[in-house]
Amino acid sequence: MDGYFLGLDKLDENIKGIRAGSNIMLLGPPMSGKETIINNIVYNGLKEGEAAVIVTTREPGENVLQWFEYNNLEIPLEHIGIVDCVTKTLGVPTGDTVNIKRASSPVDLTGIGVKISQFLEEFWMKKNLRKTRLCINSLSTMLMYSNIQTVFRFLHVFTGRVKAAGAIGVYLVEEGMHDDQAIATLKQLFDGVIEVKQENDEHFIRVVGMGLKPSPWYNYTIDGADLILIGGD
Amino acid sequence: MVETGIPRLDKFLGDGIPAGKSMVYFNHPGVEGDVFGMQTLYHNLSKDISCVYITSSSNPGLMKDYFTEFGWSIRKFEDKLTIIDAYSSLVGDLSDEKYIVSDPENIENMNEIIIQVMKDVPKKSVIMVGSLSTIMDLCGEEKTLEAIKLWNKMTLMYDHVIIYNFTAWPYSKSTIHAIKDKIFNSVITVGGIAERVIFGQYFGVLKADWADHKAQSMLFRVLRPGGIKIYIPKILVTGPFDAGKSTFVHSLSTRAISVDRLGTTIALDHGHIDHKGFSADIFGTPGQERFDPIIKMISGEALGIFLVVDSTAPKDFVRAKQMLEITKGYGLPYVIIANKQDIPGAMSVDDIRSQFNIPEDVPIIPVIATESKGVFEAFELLVEKITGGA
Ligand SMILES: Nc1nc2c(ncn2[C@@H]2O[C@H](COP(=O)(O)OP(=O)(O)OP(=O)(O)O)[C@@H](O)[C@H]2O)c(=O)[nH]1
Ligand SMILES: [Mg+2]
Repeated sequence: MDGYFLGLDKLDENIKGIRAGSNIMLLGPPMSGKETIINNIVYNGLKEGEAAVIVTTREPGENVLQWFEYNNLEIPLEHIGIVDCVTKTLGVPTGDTVNIKRASSPVDLTGIGVKISQFLEEFWMKKNLRKTRLCINSLSTMLMYSNIQTVFRFLHVFTGRVKAAGAIGVYLVEEGMHDDQAIATLKQLFDGVIEVKQENDEHFIRVVGMGLKPSPWYNYTIDGADLILIGGD
Repeated sequence: MVETGIPRLDKFLGDGIPAGKSMVYFNHPGVEGDVFGMQTLYHNLSKDISCVYITSSSNPGLMKDYFTEFGWSIRKFEDKLTIIDAYSSLVGDLSDEKYIVSDPENIENMNEIIIQVMKDVPKKSVIMVGSLSTIMDLCGEEKTLEAIKLWNKMTLMYDHVIIYNFTAWPYSKSTIHAIKDKIFNSVITVGGIAERVIFGQYFGVLKADWADHKAQSMLFRVLRPGGIKIYIPKILVTGPFDAGKSTFVHSLSTRAISVDRLGTTIALDHGHIDHKGFSADIFGTPGQERFDPIIKMISGEALGIFLVVDSTAPKDFVRAKQMLEITKGYGLPYVIIANKQDIPGAMSVDDIRSQFNIPEDVPIIPVIATESKGVFEAFELLVEKITGGA
């Protein structure tokens, strides 16, 4: 089996898995729990023995690990690589760790790219892990520092690497922060979109582009680290 | 000549970069190409040459910290180093530098500061553009290409040397063409060997209009500390039973293991060596004839061979030649190790050469493996042969 499952039960049943090499945008409004969704996707892969490379542009690498710890989720550290684009810009003198490589800033796409490649190599060559999830959290921050063409070129390269490695990529985008043109440009690079919306204090999620037609909207709630899908069918 | 400080590269370029010339490290995304520019900068600073560094993707403090990851404390050379800060304004930070680009998205502003600095620093300085791709991303491809031509012209006027780090993102075809073929005197490609992932890195001279360079690629690794080292993935050590192959591998290696039983090798020896800008993995074969199938298996894809002989056992030399054949050693660069020179009655190098008709171009090195005597000379020689330096 070389496909992937998000680990979000009803959604997975509906789309019947994700092909290796797929790149997916995770698009939704602020405060809708996208963070929890992406962490769930990471955790579900790790649980299956896969590897994860997480690019964090919003919080230090340590905080990413702490989320799992805080929620009592045991994760195999040797399967995790974090590219931290934050800590160095805070002026805190911290070096790399086994799990965390630090880029000098979100502008430093060259450095971010090198570190992603190094983790992919390490997992494939040294650790013989054949399945990896690459998560970038978030493209929106990158777009605050670099223009759309620049980010597009960067993604053009790395969505290609995800494909070559038979990994999957999940890229978080804040809805409402970018114009439609920018979103449309980025969408060209992705095989599908996980869409999140909010209506009257209720949250919904669906997947578009991974099957013949979009999945239904599933109502969801967040309980601690858990994402609970209700309804939809 | 300004040296790059990258092992082998200066030789390929005909001893370095002449004054007035421009060079770009053309780096494929995901490979550690930016370390090339950094190593070149540090190499020149440590030779007391005035240098300029234009930082576009990190603030000057972080940039200096990044150098220290490789063991290069450039803060020692502060009086020789002029920094142009083209980053801080971009993220709204204040800067302590004397030269600040206040609007890094405006190429005119870049031009103004860079040209000012080129005038202010002593002639024959080394100008390093830390991230040309970032400038291009901020100012646009066309405008940046025009600016590069101007900077290269000023470099010629003031007898400087200008070096750029460039990450080859998928820019327009015409931009890539201009960079690879047109606007620089020299282009060094730094690339990755990719299958499913990038698992090896190489560099090579694509262009150098002043030198009669060879189109040859070198594998490299980046060590922290240490920087760029030429990497040779496989050197074979072979030779008759008991000649001292395992001892030789261990005396050369920074770390090594052997699969031996009762003092004889039954599978292989493996060692890793880091020495003078070179990094290599060496594999020793067993010597006994019953292991010949294993020897064949181990020998594939070797880039060079040490043929170890016991200088006190000339009767084994026929076997030695046979082993060279088994390993397909003919055709590959090889060096003969005349081992056990400490034992009375050991044949001299000259005697070995004449008695066994060894061609003049095959080096024979006198070695005492148990005392590590001659082993590094032998390594340097073989590496020279493998990397085309000799
Ligand atoms: N005096 C002297 N003895 C040496 C020297 N090099 C190796 N020896 C000795 O020679 C013996 C054989 O050395 P090894 O390194 O095991 O030889 P080998 O070629 O790996 O042997 P096989 O794997 O069995 O073919 C050991 O007792 C070593 O200590 C040397 O330079 N001088
Ligand atoms: Mg042995």
